Amino acid sequence: MATPIIDASHIIKDYGRVRALHGVSLEVGAGEFVALVGPSGCGKTTLLKILAGFEETTEGRLDIEGKDMRGVPAASRPTRMVFQKLALFPHKTVAQNIGFALKLQKFDKAEIDRRVVAMLELMHLNLDYLDRFPAQLSGGEQQRVALARALVSQPGVLLLDEPMSALDAKLKKSLQAELKKLHRELGTSFVLVTHDLEEAMMLADRICVMRAGRVVQIGTPTQIYYRPANMFVAGFIGETNFLPVDVSGSQDGGLIVGSPLVTGEPAVMEAGNVSEFLGEGNKALLIRPESIGFLKGEPSPGQWMLTGVVDEYFIKGSSTQYRIRVAGLEAPVVMDLPGSFELPAEVGEEVRIGFEPTRTFLLSE
Amino acid sequence: MKSQPKRWNDPILVAAVAPLAIVMLVFFLIPLAMTVLLTFQTTQYYRLHWTWDLKIWTEIFSKPHYWTIMLRTVGMAVICVVISILIAFPTAYALTTRLKTYSAQIQILIIFAFLTDAVLKTFGWILVLDRQGVANWLLSYLGLGPEAMDILFTPTGTMIGMVYNLAVYPMFTIYLSLARIDRDLVLASYDAGASRIRTFFEVTLPLSRPGLYSGAVLVFVLSLGAFLEPKVLGGGTSPLASELIRQSFETRVNWPLGAALTIVLIAIGALTLALAAAFVFRRSPAAAGGQA
Amino acid sequence: MKKGTVEMNKLLNDLNRRSVLKGMGGMGLAAAGASFLGMPRGAQAAESLNYMCWEGYNAPSILEPFQAANNATISIDLITDSAGGFAKLAAGASRDFDLVSSDSPWIQRMGPAGFCRFIDDADFAEQYADFYPQFAAPFEPLQFEGKATGLPTRWGWVGPTVNTKFDTLEAWSSYAPVFDSAYKDKICLLDWGDWPIMPLALYAGVNPYEELDEAALGEVRKVLRAAFKNTRAIVGDLAIAQKGLLDGSFRALIGGGTYCTSSLRLKGHDYIQSIVPEPKDGLKQGIIWMEATGLVDNGKNSAIAADFLKYIVSPEVAKQLAITEATCNLVPNSKAEALFSEEEKKALQMDYMWTAWENSQFHTVAPNIDDMLAIWQEELAAR
Repeated sequence: MATPIIDASHIIKDYGRVRALHGVSLEVGAGEFVALVGPSGCGKTTLLKILAGFEETTEGRLDIEGKDMRGVPAASRPTRMVFQKLALFPHKTVAQNIGFALKLQKFDKAEIDRRVVAMLELMHLNLDYLDRFPAQLSGGEQQRVALARALVSQPGVLLLDEPMSALDAKLKKSLQAELKKLHRELGTSFVLVTHDLEEAMMLADRICVMRAGRVVQIGTPTQIYYRPANMFVAGFIGETNFLPVDVSGSQDGGLIVGSPLVTGEPAVMEAGNVSEFLGEGNKALLIRPESIGFLKGEPSPGQWMLTGVVDEYFIKGSSTQYRIRVAGLEAPVVMDLPGSFELPAEVGEEVRIGFEPTRTFLLSE
Repeated sequence: MKSQPKRWNDPILVAAVAPLAIVMLVFFLIPLAMTVLLTFQTTQYYRLHWTWDLKIWTEIFSKPHYWTIMLRTVGMAVICVVISILIAFPTAYALTTRLKTYSAQIQILIIFAFLTDAVLKTFGWILVLDRQGVANWLLSYLGLGPEAMDILFTPTGTMIGMVYNLAVYPMFTIYLSLARIDRDLVLASYDAGASRIRTFFEVTLPLSRPGLYSGAVLVFVLSLGAFLEPKVLGGGTSPLASELIRQSFETRVNWPLGAALTIVLIAIGALTLALAAAFVFRRSPAAAGGQA
Repeated sequence: MKKGTVEMNKLLNDLNRRSVLKGMGGMGLAAAGASFLGMPRGAQAAESLNYMCWEGYNAPSILEPFQAANNATISIDLITDSAGGFAKLAAGASRDFDLVSSDSPWIQRMGPAGFCRFIDDADFAEQYADFYPQFAAPFEPLQFEGKATGLPTRWGWVGPTVNTKFDTLEAWSSYAPVFDSAYKDKICLLDWGDWPIMPLALYAGVNPYEELDEAALGEVRKVLRAAFKNTRAIVGDLAIAQKGLLDGSFRALIGGGTYCTSSLRLKGHDYIQSIVPEPKDGLKQGIIWMEATGLVDNGKNSAIAADFLKYIVSPEVAKQLAITEATCNLVPNSKAEALFSEEEKKALQMDYMWTAWENSQFHTVAPNIDDMLAIWQEELAAR
């Protein structure tokens, strides 16, 4: 990364005696789309507010466009925000909402009008809406107005605070696609806060996963998905299975793992299949639902086998999902099988399932 | 969000509106109509005579002093509205911003003061405003000389009492309006590059209009009926409409006159409100619609 | 038509009345329930009296013994303005009331108004016998067509009320200081209907109790205008007026007289006095006001109402009526005089009462009162 447009280092934020951020560092490159992801209360929104200038940092340094932001109010920062509940001014028309920042910069009226119209066109909004009030628009249209309002002043960084959380799934999908396109066309840096990792993976160049005021992992969507730092990140991605294992030694640069719950020889996990953040705590194999299947007979060499009872199944069309209850595991094992007309097993049936440990991922808590 | 246009003969609508309509009819329109009827009657020997006579209206339109009092009443009401708002707005604003932590406690204190009987409170002001009152004692203590202030039994005294008794209404309506403003709107304004002052005028003030206007209307209407303050603190020297109406009904036992003066007061009050509304909505069409 | 509103008292009365009403509501329910349960109706039922009166007459110490002794309940409707009270009766409320205690002109007017239950003076001979000779039967101010409309119950005089710590009584042997620039902003007029108008008219040489022509009304207008110019406040509330008089910010109260004096004197402020100015150009400058109690012709012909009338003028009750919480006034019963303590006699200025009587007009409803009230309103508005 050449010169990051945002360079936040060791940001600490305290609200009274409660520490919301414990030394968070984040760099955002020019034109990059970064998503901040984490469960509610993880500090992602606080970090966004610090970037916007709505909150002061307690400690740490924040540079935006190479300038120290200490004491720089929101009004003077090269950032614009799209709020979670949009925060469109209810008493201003669409045109007034969008043109507000330009009016403050004392552009002349014709120039403001020109830019506002250009924004409406960029957002595929009907020009008739100019004189309407936000409440007269649909949710999706309001969303676009909010984006237009933020982008009209050509900010260096666009901050988005879960702007699509209130929309229905279909509208969300189409707006997500538009947002990605918009980002590509404008070349502006986007920082998106979301609790939806799927959304983050779809949109962002890089994802920053946060937990309890700390950054757990920063990486590209593929890194996050395939090489999660720990069980928290992996669990956050979607439905996964964790099989507790013990590491008994190392061999040829790999780690030897085994589990009393399975039938099968201890396996050697190559470095590429071991989390780089592997700690001392409990360790587990991350087994994706798609990399596990029913076994007809005995496991082949290198395969591990579990036995269990079918708890429930869901026919999803292109795939069928089974949940198998296995003695010794808290959660049922989830497996995604390719869809088929014949069901391989019924509820209550005792089944054998198997997977290749070397094609899983070793991580710790 | 979109609502079907309702038809007048929609039975559900009729059923929903009927109770209110009946209450309005019984407790407002019928008495008002009777008051209008009363103005065409005459009194003789303290008894009402059922006639049709324009005598009272001729009297009202030929005697300027009725109008002097009416216009003074409206003038006092307008001044009271302005002062009350000027006091109420900053107070309410502080309660939603700087004093937010103590907002509940302060509001309880205000409510206690508000619930104290107006008669007691108004009499209390005598002790403050009197020539030998607390205010003058303080002023002389500050070296401004004895009896620096002489406003008991003047229209200023009346105004102080009216503002004191009425400013609490806009304080609460404005507070409710301000408290309802989403904090994000203020942040959005900062984000767009607006200063605190600019944000106040562009966002906070326009969005507090509902509370501002309802508070102003409350103060105005209650000021028109101000009775206690001019009598107690004004020393009866510049009477307002309600005292005129009381005298007409009670002391002069001229019910048609009292009724006519009531109608005049209601008419002037309604006209003033209509003019104010027209002015306000002409200046800011946004307030007229759209933010429902 | 007097006394205006005594706001504080009204407030206290309202409070009491509210709690009384609440209690009565409960009792009413209980009574209704009892009657449903087959209690013998009427056997124990108390007779109820509806009584319209000024403050003082409603004192529990007066009403309660009567109610207990006669198994009666008395409901009170408090008057705040005599004319207003009369108008209420004239508008039809006379059907609901049994008794009225108000300013004597309004009791007398029940005669011509047609809802007076006249009393036979002979039935009340015993009561009249106790009265001072000035109130002996037939008592002219309460007569209508040779019949008595009621009995006098309280009285006093209207004249300047003076704080002798600041002013000599001699200074107020005439109403001249009201118009004197030396007294500018130091005069308080009491906003009690016609009471403040009458003395000022008398000072202008107009007898307001006679039929007035335009010229005379013009004189009244002039004298009111001149008085308003010098006046600090027109006060309806007794407490405010008394406070100002005590601290010297009001040098005199005009239009009140004994009604605003006696209670102060009883509390030890014996330097406060109400006097009657000397006659001016042959016109007596003082005014005697009187309250009376009359029976209302509501078709019931209640014997208990007549008993109450006898009760209210009896010496013991008259004494209580004279000294009430808010005001102290004279009563026509001479036997009551013996019941007053020396302090009370002094407070009531009893040594001065017949002098005042001699130098006073008797207050009635002036023929041109509405014109004068209209002038009062106009001049006040112009201030």
